[in-house]
Amino acid sequence: MKALVDSMLSYWILLLVISLGMAALVYIFWLREAMLT
Amino acid sequence: MFDFAIAGIQAPIFLLMLTGFTVGIVGGFIGVGGGYMVTPALIVFGFPGYMASGIDVTHIAGKALIATVRHRQLGNIDWTLGLAMVGGTMLGVELGVRLLTYTKSIGLSGVALLSATVLIMIGLFLYTQIETHKAQKKIVDLTKDGKTVGRELSVSRVPLFFQSIKLYPIVRCHTARIVISMWVVVVVGIATGVLAGFFGVGGGFIRVPALVYICGATTHIAVGTDLLEIVVSGGYGALRQSMMGNVDMVAVLFMIVGAMFGAQFGSIATSYVRGPAIRYILSYSLILATVGAFLRLVYILSGAKYELLNFAAVVFTMGEMLFLCFFIMSLVIFSVRHRHGKWVPGWIPSLVISA
Repeated sequence: MKALVDSMLSYWILLLVISLGMAALVYIFWLREAMLT
Repeated sequence: MFDFAIAGIQAPIFLLMLTGFTVGIVGGFIGVGGGYMVTPALIVFGFPGYMASGIDVTHIAGKALIATVRHRQLGNIDWTLGLAMVGGTMLGVELGVRLLTYTKSIGLSGVALLSATVLIMIGLFLYTQIETHKAQKKIVDLTKDGKTVGRELSVSRVPLFFQSIKLYPIVRCHTARIVISMWVVVVVGIATGVLAGFFGVGGGFIRVPALVYICGATTHIAVGTDLLEIVVSGGYGALRQSMMGNVDMVAVLFMIVGAMFGAQFGSIATSYVRGPAIRYILSYSLILATVGAFLRLVYILSGAKYELLNFAAVVFTMGEMLFLCFFIMSLVIFSVRHRHGKWVPGWIPSLVISA
């Protein structure tokens, strides 16, 4: 884990993946139904 | 779910407050309004497009005011520079909007305009990235030599050229510690205003780099001074949108509640980092906004047929807000850890203020 965080690029990618994952969960469980109706 | 009577929709309050909070952090840290993130998010929440723009600009004015007050306390606002530029910016935005109307009347397509926006954003991203990377490397070298490095270091030589233009009146910006021709500041204001009005992108995106790379202000001063300008331009926009009945004040109120905390956190966070860290986050937001806009364009051009494209555009817009927010928060956490002598990643010491 330390090695992953120690490089700026890999930390950047890690945070982006977590953020996109969280956004996808919010969309799927919270917003998708509201958007389709 | 809350019933927003003016907008005529039901939307989750928690998400509105979260949006206000995250965009507040980003806006307070890099000095942008964040309209490029908020308007699409509000449309996703179910607000009509015209209402989303009205709510967005009103919330931006309030958030910018909160962040400006905090940046003033931190000594990050140069009033001379800000007020000299604000007139030019307002004139530039008006010119930009008229130019846009003209180009549309002669048949220049929206796709061509958007492509130009993407090119400008990518160019700005590349320049900021390269310059900031060099500045970070220089900080590392200076620290190795045992020299003390302050909170700002820029390797760009462009400001020296613009500061050497001796066209009267010359203004002395005491807080920014620059002496520059008033005309340069006004022309930069007009140019950034035209770009903002013409391309429809937020002015902050262009103004913060312009204040750093043309006027020669430090990144912290550029952020605070730009927020001052957003208070004026956002306030005017909020007034116009309210008069047209495009603002649901209850939605604005919920967003401001989140932004109240976010904007203060973002502003205070700038005191933990060096200038290059802010410029890195600014460049990330530039490229992510470009990708988000590109995805939305592809979805619209494909006739809004593919649900997957819409999913990607929405997720990217919301994910981008979270990403920038997490990055800023982690910089503050790493800075505090560094001050206490705890382990931090190798790239952190050059970006944070250690004492």
